[in-house]
Amino acid sequence: MSKTDTIKRTRSWLYTTRTIFGKELKSYLGTPFGWVILACTMALQGFWLQAVIQTMSQASGESVMFYMLNNVHFWFYFIFIFPLITMRTFADEERQGTLEGLLTAPVTTTQIVLGKYFAALLFYVVLWLPMLLYPWMSELGNLYTETRYGIIPEGRIEYTPADWYGPISILTISGSFFIALGLFCSSLTRSQIIAGIVCTCLMIMYYFIGRVTELWGEFPAAPVFHYLSCTEQISAFSRGLVDTRPLVLYLSLAIFTLALTKRVVDYRRWHR
Amino acid sequence: MCQSRRFNLKNQIILLELRSHMSMVTAQHLHKVFGRFTAVKDATFSIEKGEIVGFLGPNGAGKTTTMKMLTGYLPPSAGTASIAGYDIIDHPLEARRHLGYMPENVPLYEEMRVYEYLEYRARLKGICGSSVRKQIGLAIERCGLEAKRKNLISTLSKGYRQRTGLADALLGNPDLLILDEPTNGLDPNQIRQIRELIRSLAEEHTVILSTHILSEVEMICNKVIIIDQGIIKASDTPSNLTRDLRAAGRVSIEFKGDPTEVIKELEAFEPVKKVIIEDPLPGGWNRILVRAEPGTDTREKAAAIIAAHGLPMRHIYRHIPNLENVFVEMTRRD
Repeated sequence: MSKTDTIKRTRSWLYTTRTIFGKELKSYLGTPFGWVILACTMALQGFWLQAVIQTMSQASGESVMFYMLNNVHFWFYFIFIFPLITMRTFADEERQGTLEGLLTAPVTTTQIVLGKYFAALLFYVVLWLPMLLYPWMSELGNLYTETRYGIIPEGRIEYTPADWYGPISILTISGSFFIALGLFCSSLTRSQIIAGIVCTCLMIMYYFIGRVTELWGEFPAAPVFHYLSCTEQISAFSRGLVDTRPLVLYLSLAIFTLALTKRVVDYRRWHR
Repeated sequence: MCQSRRFNLKNQIILLELRSHMSMVTAQHLHKVFGRFTAVKDATFSIEKGEIVGFLGPNGAGKTTTMKMLTGYLPPSAGTASIAGYDIIDHPLEARRHLGYMPENVPLYEEMRVYEYLEYRARLKGICGSSVRKQIGLAIERCGLEAKRKNLISTLSKGYRQRTGLADALLGNPDLLILDEPTNGLDPNQIRQIRELIRSLAEEHTVILSTHILSEVEMICNKVIIIDQGIIKASDTPSNLTRDLRAAGRVSIEFKGDPTEVIKELEAFEPVKKVIIEDPLPGGWNRILVRAEPGTDTREKAAAIIAAHGLPMRHIYRHIPNLENVFVEMTRRD
């Protein structure tokens, strides 16, 4: 195969993958489905931000983001975001029969999986974008306090850019694996509900793996659980400690899960 | 090294030449097993360029499974097939590029608009640039979808859904169209429109369609494949299939008077196998059914015999077998 041939093939491969990606992204943002998820997540974030500001008036030392993410209540809605985003990706297509049209088009299963994955991941990132407004909102709050009560150093909401970069990067990094996990669950079944339940269940399990050391104390295998612990990673990242180990962990887990998803989609076709 | 490359090139040229002469579809010993149930057993057939092939069979005979195997959606348990010379297992993408498929019940994305859906499908099939609009325009025009191009698919009637599915299959101008029950659930007018459409498509495409409306096949297909319980029972033109049928050559006669003598004389006549008296009709009329060798005409002789007895006759009819007879004969289980 000549070089120009390879380039041509790669280009057409990217073209069809992008087509699937675009269609999937549109199905999130062009239908009420995506906006309902966005609205619910934002409402929950809003409630929680309000509660955090209340607690911050007593405790101090860390940023708003630290208090927001390092709490069981955050996980209470964080876990449900992933099944909501991903549960329909494969299950609904299979139930409606459109998967048949997709798989008889000249595209490979890998392209379908990747297109769907990146669309879901991008939508997930969009969910956290409103968080970027918090610094601006803090400034607005400070301005209000200053005009109302004059300059009081203790009344200011202090922040550094790292307070936001850290949490957003860990949310994106861990999300890249959790989205893949959701996609995998969706490929297992033709029922969205079952996909959602399985995904939620796996998410809760993963959450508790991170809490094993809290329950059992330190033991020889404990470092493994520390390494896998999403809660500890979030805690580190929201303090501004950016670490590459979780990046390696989640990216390799994501790639592994996506490969598994591709296998499952093919397998279900072979053994129907 | 250099020599072997040259040899390969030569081989490839030969392969390309072969492809241009090959049948559009060749299925070799296709076999599909679902758990303990064998859906398709050892199906071997070939379809030439430009043919309109009707896939016939009772419900659950394996029509849809065979079609799904040809499209590459269901991998065969054994055997293989090739489309336009490309093997569906070794070169699935190439094979799929040469076919347009409309699945049973036409699954579509409900939340999309017709044009949007066709655009997505066109891009998925690798059509890019200005030819996207051109191809969609052509498909929309052929399928009569101009008025509905901006409608949401969820609001379309069954007929228009079917047309959207057909327009999707036409995108990219594939050599082969596989249509699974294209007229299923349509009203008679819509059926006629779709039938006309399929007939017009046959000028440029090879078409495989499955249906259980036999008159439809008689009207548009020039080849019939009958499949029952996963086994291909026949693969021929409709006229060849009906020619050697048991029903061919049957004659029914209605006359007045005592039938015993007439029957005795008729049964003595060479091609006649058996004469059956059917239920007596009111007014002293009898109806008899003469079973004879296929392809023979016993009307003249029968009429002469009845006239010789001086009996009045009011009806004589030689059965012309149709696909329904073929279908019933090949698929009945009694």
